[in-house]
Amino acid sequence: MEAPHPTEGWEQVGERFYRKIPLYTAIFDEDLDLDNYVIAGAPYAGALALYRDENKLVAYQPSKSSKPTIDIYSCAGKLMRSIKWDNGAIKGLGWSVDEKLLVITNDGTVRCYYGLQDDFTQFSLGNGAEDVGVNSCRFYDDGMVALLSNNALISVTSYDEPRPKLLASPPEGQVHSWAIIPPNYTLSRSVEVLLSIAQTVYVVDASECEDRFLDIGPFTQMSVSPNGKFAALYTETGQAHVITSDFSTRLSEHDTKSKIPPKYLSWCGNDAVVIAWEDEVHVVGPNGAVAQFFYDNRIHLVPDTDGVRVISNNLCDFLQKVPDVTEEVFGIGTESPASVLLDAVDQLDAQSPKADDDIQLIRPQLPEAVDACVNAAGQEFSVHWQKQLLKAASFGKSVLDIYNSDDFVDMCETLRVLNAVRFFEVGLPLSYEQYLRLTPEGLVSRLLNRHEYLLALRIAGYLRLPTDKIYVHWASAKVRLGAEDDDTACRLIVDKLAGKPGISFESVARAAYDEGRSRLATQLLNHEPRAGRQVPLLLSMEEDELALDKAVESGDTDLVYFVLHHLRRKLPLAAFFRAVNARPLATALVESSARARGPNGEEDTALLKDLYYQDDRRLDGADVFVREALRQPDARTASDKLALAAKLLSDDARGNAFELAALREAASLLRLQEALDRDLTDSFTGLSVNDTVFKLVRLGYHTRAKKVAAEFRVPDRVLWWVRLRALVAKRDWNELEEVAKGKKSPIGWVPFYNLILAAGNPRLAGVFVGKCVAAGGLEPGEAVIMYEKCGMRVRAAEEAVRHKDAEGWMRVLQAAGRGTPEGREIERLGAGVFKR
Amino acid sequence: MAPHVGFDTDQIRDKARKDLLYLLEGVRGKKSLVIEKSLAGPVGALVTASTLRDYGVEKFFFLDTNNADTSQRNVVFVARGDSEHNVQAIADHMKRLQRESKTGHEFHIFWVPRRTLVSDKLLEELGVLGDAEIAELPLYFFPLDKDVLSLELDDSFKDLYLSKDPTSIFMLARALTGIQQKHGVFPRIIGKGDNAKRVAELLARMRQELLAGEDAHEAGKMGLTPSTTMESLIIIDREVDFVTPLLTQLTYEGLIDEMFGIQNNQTEVDSTIIGAPAQQQPQPQQQQQGAVPAPTANPQARTRKIQLDSSDKLFEQIRDTNFAVVGNILGKVARRLKTDLDSRHSSQTTAELREFVTKLPALQTEQQSLKTHIALAEEIKKSTQLEEFGRVLEVQQNLAAGADPSSQFEAIEELIARDMPLPQVLRLLCIYSTISGGIKAKEFDLFRRLILEGYGFQHILTLHNLEKLQLFLSRSSPLASMIPMTAAAGATGTKTNYTYLRKQLRLINDEVKEHDPNDIAYVYSGYAPLSVRLVQCILQKQFLLRITKGNGVTSSVGAAGGAQGWRGFDDAVKHARGQTFDELQKGEDKAVKARALLSGGSDKKTVFVVFVGGITFTEIAALRFIAKEEAARRNIVICTTAIISGNRMMEAAIEKEAFGKAGDQADAR
Repeated sequence: MEAPHPTEGWEQVGERFYRKIPLYTAIFDEDLDLDNYVIAGAPYAGALALYRDENKLVAYQPSKSSKPTIDIYSCAGKLMRSIKWDNGAIKGLGWSVDEKLLVITNDGTVRCYYGLQDDFTQFSLGNGAEDVGVNSCRFYDDGMVALLSNNALISVTSYDEPRPKLLASPPEGQVHSWAIIPPNYTLSRSVEVLLSIAQTVYVVDASECEDRFLDIGPFTQMSVSPNGKFAALYTETGQAHVITSDFSTRLSEHDTKSKIPPKYLSWCGNDAVVIAWEDEVHVVGPNGAVAQFFYDNRIHLVPDTDGVRVISNNLCDFLQKVPDVTEEVFGIGTESPASVLLDAVDQLDAQSPKADDDIQLIRPQLPEAVDACVNAAGQEFSVHWQKQLLKAASFGKSVLDIYNSDDFVDMCETLRVLNAVRFFEVGLPLSYEQYLRLTPEGLVSRLLNRHEYLLALRIAGYLRLPTDKIYVHWASAKVRLGAEDDDTACRLIVDKLAGKPGISFESVARAAYDEGRSRLATQLLNHEPRAGRQVPLLLSMEEDELALDKAVESGDTDLVYFVLHHLRRKLPLAAFFRAVNARPLATALVESSARARGPNGEEDTALLKDLYYQDDRRLDGADVFVREALRQPDARTASDKLALAAKLLSDDARGNAFELAALREAASLLRLQEALDRDLTDSFTGLSVNDTVFKLVRLGYHTRAKKVAAEFRVPDRVLWWVRLRALVAKRDWNELEEVAKGKKSPIGWVPFYNLILAAGNPRLAGVFVGKCVAAGGLEPGEAVIMYEKCGMRVRAAEEAVRHKDAEGWMRVLQAAGRGTPEGREIERLGAGVFKR
Repeated sequence: MAPHVGFDTDQIRDKARKDLLYLLEGVRGKKSLVIEKSLAGPVGALVTASTLRDYGVEKFFFLDTNNADTSQRNVVFVARGDSEHNVQAIADHMKRLQRESKTGHEFHIFWVPRRTLVSDKLLEELGVLGDAEIAELPLYFFPLDKDVLSLELDDSFKDLYLSKDPTSIFMLARALTGIQQKHGVFPRIIGKGDNAKRVAELLARMRQELLAGEDAHEAGKMGLTPSTTMESLIIIDREVDFVTPLLTQLTYEGLIDEMFGIQNNQTEVDSTIIGAPAQQQPQPQQQQQGAVPAPTANPQARTRKIQLDSSDKLFEQIRDTNFAVVGNILGKVARRLKTDLDSRHSSQTTAELREFVTKLPALQTEQQSLKTHIALAEEIKKSTQLEEFGRVLEVQQNLAAGADPSSQFEAIEELIARDMPLPQVLRLLCIYSTISGGIKAKEFDLFRRLILEGYGFQHILTLHNLEKLQLFLSRSSPLASMIPMTAAAGATGTKTNYTYLRKQLRLINDEVKEHDPNDIAYVYSGYAPLSVRLVQCILQKQFLLRITKGNGVTSSVGAAGGAQGWRGFDDAVKHARGQTFDELQKGEDKAVKARALLSGGSDKKTVFVVFVGGITFTEIAALRFIAKEEAARRNIVICTTAIISGNRMMEAAIEKEAFGKAGDQADAR
């Protein structure tokens, strides 16, 4: 079979060529009057959605149901799904990059049909859309903008978590046409909208609306190039203008001389604008060069990133700029090395020696020629020419000594995949560039949408992609559509899926559950290795305890909290506690969150009391009351709370003896302090026993202090210390001298010396050195130093003499100075003992 | 992201920075930043306030104060997603702003480190879920220094051991899994303690889940084969050794922490001690901190923040030395600096002068830092020379050395009578109880009375908390009776038996030289932290055998030299609390070989030492000491949930409220 030459269908536009590649024929039923339909096509050769245009009359056909539907076709015209539509007028129909179909109704309801199924998620545009109504919508990769009848613009940036947002408000006036620049191509990283109002164009983004001050409008059509850099504007008078999308430079202008407004204005790649009427297509290149294509029928255009698809009842064409490499190889009159190489293969087939001549001719550029052939093969849709080009490349590289064949191998693999999916039954006529943008993973998920599992698996295996999603999708479809009973279905699925990495049984189980097969869902869920993923599904299946167990097992406290939160809302308290009690981790989390609940961090005491009560944790329960007591503003209510705490513990009076005593004393201390507050008009409440004694001593109420100490059985040593500190703090030297007259101190006299000295009374401190010496227990020589620190050199010397501490004596003497009276005294003391 | 690049904490810092700035960039225009207080420090250490300003952050607010104003259209919340409290606070903020403001607001919430189901649920119930853009800011580890990674979960100690809330364990496992995904799995996981075991289990589980995960094809190549750059992961549960953090830290950095407290590498010191902040020295972190009311550091501040990390070369030199030596070193540096500065007078030629001038900024920085540290050291010295400090230290050392605890009763009683700060006293009691397996019932009651009378009856709650923490127990308590008191006890692993381990692992090493340390015991002037001894059981078998069995037996223990895991110390380890484990993580041979090939011949591998529940600065110092000795063979990276100290442990238990104060507080509000 002789394939038509690749240059067939090329049309010159200025210096470049554009080509029309016939993809499929016999697309739609002849009866289908495309003129009455709105068509939206998914990017990257995705599915087509058809909806009857309600503004047009249609002949009544008794054979056909008049119920409106949205029909989803492949590019080859295979009807994949028909969605019943009874929600009124459709104001926007479009696709996301992952083939979600978006349908927007007049009241701003957005339905998002995913996976080419009947299933949808729904959200509302809000922001007044329900009142004023939606006018029209524009879509980009994973977002959309809706124009309301009052010119308000609402942008949605994600369909998974839709958050419709109002853009800056544009001025009043009729919007003649509008277009958007997707956020990935704008400086502001937000979507920008071009609105043609009156003579000019406004650019609107999230925060501002700017007038571009044009005077050639109004524009009936506007379109932004796929890379967001250029905009095409079509005026009422039939002029097409191309300008940069920031409106700084006017690039070209073209007069169509047409009175009829075109149906479509869109971009063909980034270099040319396509203007289409009913059956005529103009390609307008730079500098206003034009090529025209004519069709027999009514056509629709579906723009894609690197070209446009032309769809009519009987054909589907792809219109694109001839890629550089293709032009290099096949261009008319070209003598490029690649074209010579291609010729060489022909000669080789003809067994002509010219083959070698060709090779010798291009020898120096052979590597480039091979590369060009490989790349040109990628751009070909015809298998014959793909083969021919690859053959040329293969021949070329066999001549080369060193050539990295990776690109060649990759291209062979890619072409096999592309040819497989271009097959009309699959109907994905991807160009090489679209394939690169879609990514192999994206291609696989498209195949899944079409339930082409075998092909998807083969391709995934061939390209070494993960297959988990394919299996899961298959299994989900199986439980949804399969007729098998639960056990068989489960066995079937587990047999196929078990042991494969990345399998999410949870997704399959969820599909089963959604389908109402909850027994099957439970069975499947047991095979899910990730506990965390089971939990939400188990909850929605009302398997509460199981969900709690799995959450605990996962170690993820978020999951446990989530389940607890759910159960707390759902179950009566007793049942909630029963569920929690057997699981220590769950109990601990209930406790800790109850401790910290509330805006100011106050605890949920009621819950805690109940929890501890029914779990018989008396001590913890008592603690709750004690904490409550701490929050009481006065002693009386605090005492009440303490009594409640005590009551809780009184069952085991022996075991809790200490706690009970402490609670009693706490209450009596509070009462006592309240009395003190009143009597002494000072604040004692909140102090500890020791501090109360300290404060009383400091204020000079010695008897009261003693009484308090006695009542609370403050140990002697502690009492002495507290008294000492208080007296020193008060600088009550008289009282301290009184103490010094005492015979014995339970804490010894050294602390007295230390504290008094530190408080700056060396004289009195000196008194206590004597007491220390008298009490004994000092290191020899220590007393000397102590006296020295008090500045009592004579006494120090005496002490040194007593212990025969010559060194210490000398030190004291030197400090005093030999000449001074003090020095002489010291010398006198030592004279007898330390003879030199 | 080549697989053979070794681990480096800078990667973590860079990634955290990038993640944060990327998210900020996504919020168009100027914005207010409302941040959770406990995150302000760590985040401030990642990016400076001026960088944030470059990314459009005009104003900073703390989440808890609920005072963000309506000046900016965009409001960004940064908070930990695991706290219900934060969700509530954010919702309050949003509702208030929506009420007060005439113009609309755009709210963004960045949950750290992950968006939780609970937060979504709560926001939904509070009716604000739809009003905010929610994103995740996956900050797990914050690099505190080039060898220390911390989750900076300040409450992790309390959560883990008092509330029994294992969130921090999960976070730790997540963080470590993140490292494994990037650098391959740890070929060996060794650990001690129940929580450590739990981390290991979670790691295994997460590895399984990753294998089963959707992105298996990516992770499978990189993350799930044994690493060739990492040697092992050593996990130690704080529970195994509560005594070490309770002792007073005696390294310079440790003492700063004890005296002033260190938060996110910063300490706050009274400006009378240290002098007012030098104007010529920009302190970006400080601005970030003090940014709440106005971004300028407020001039009346009585305190000054000091950055403590290895960017300060002088500090790096002295941080891990025993405080006894610090004075000497500072003196030496001062003399050297003086000669350096004086060299300008001797400079003759212009070339010499130019050289001096180029050195000048460095010298000035050093001089500034020297001034700061001398002032700090003097302040610390003042405190350490106090009689009380000596008393506390004496009791600690006696208890640690195994003296009869009852002999310390009077000393502790005196400290209470002298109204020592409660945490200090409680630390002593906890050491007492923990080391000697509980306190005799009679003494126990006496101590409890002393505490209640000395510090207030509200501490009945404190004491109860300490009992729950198993830090302060009566011998008659069922929890204490598990403690094996004799060396020969059969029951092992329920409590750490210090009496036995003191000898077996030579925890007391009085011969250690503080000036030229030859053993980690220098960090506590004679006590070697058990936690780090356990690490030595794995990494420094030879050394440990030498010092425990006496000198000159190195030849006989050659067999132990090649041994791995706990080998050679199994017996000793049994006497510490909690489970012991030693697991190998294997991968496919082919993958291992491929990885080995890729990584080339770098035979110096990294060991990760992880402390669950917190680590002290002294332990870090001790680990660094080991790292220095092992520098030829391996790198050591320290990971933890938070930095702790004895005081912080006590804070977790101490009841903060007092009787009769509620009325005052209500008035204040």
